[in-house]
Amino acid sequence: METKKLCLALYTGSVDKLTAAGIILSGAAAVDMQVDIYVLLMGARAFRKDVGDDSGKLHMAENASLKAEFLESLKSLNVKTWVEFFREAKSITDVKIHICGLAGKVWGGEKLGDFIDLADDICGIGAYIESAQEADVNLFI
Amino acid sequence: MLQEELKSIQVAKTVDARGTACPGPLLEAKKAVGTIKSGDIMEILSADEGTKVDIPKWCTKQGHEYLGTVEESGYFRIFMKKG
Repeated sequence: METKKLCLALYTGSVDKLTAAGIILSGAAAVDMQVDIYVLLMGARAFRKDVGDDSGKLHMAENASLKAEFLESLKSLNVKTWVEFFREAKSITDVKIHICGLAGKVWGGEKLGDFIDLADDICGIGAYIESAQEADVNLFI
Repeated sequence: MLQEELKSIQVAKTVDARGTACPGPLLEAKKAVGTIKSGDIMEILSADEGTKVDIPKWCTKQGHEYLGTVEESGYFRIFMKKG
């Protein structure tokens, strides 16, 4: 079976959109897609070691006043955190997470070790363009 | 397959994913299918409406055979044969 590739430009650092990205990643993992994630600007903040899935440090992209209700509902439905979704997808299929060098610097991260252990490398935007050109599915979240 | 046939079918594995919402049951099925042999039948229990659609599509894509779904009270029993 031919391996399909998903390229995700992950701009968001919001808990609602990161959760959505995690759910999409799960779908990709279920069908053994190869996944490249390029973490851009706000996304790199969420990958900082002191942020991750600490929902208190993550904002909402949509309707901030619904954050508590949103998080409570996810919990009651036994839905994983965005970090758990990403980690599980990595354990099932080939998922590589690349932190944009500029995005990292914006949030004080210079080295791979400055980010949570999901990140695989620090890259430039050329790598994203190349990956996007080769991908079967391209998403910007 | 007929509902009666599905209800009496011998399964090699049952995946109880009733405690999870989408995409939980699909990923539970994905992980479990790696533990059974080609030709084995697996049953996925899910209370998530979307799983009823996802599993048949996933089976087609992954080369497994979707056998059918039995609706129980508050959950579904989805049967598949590993390809």
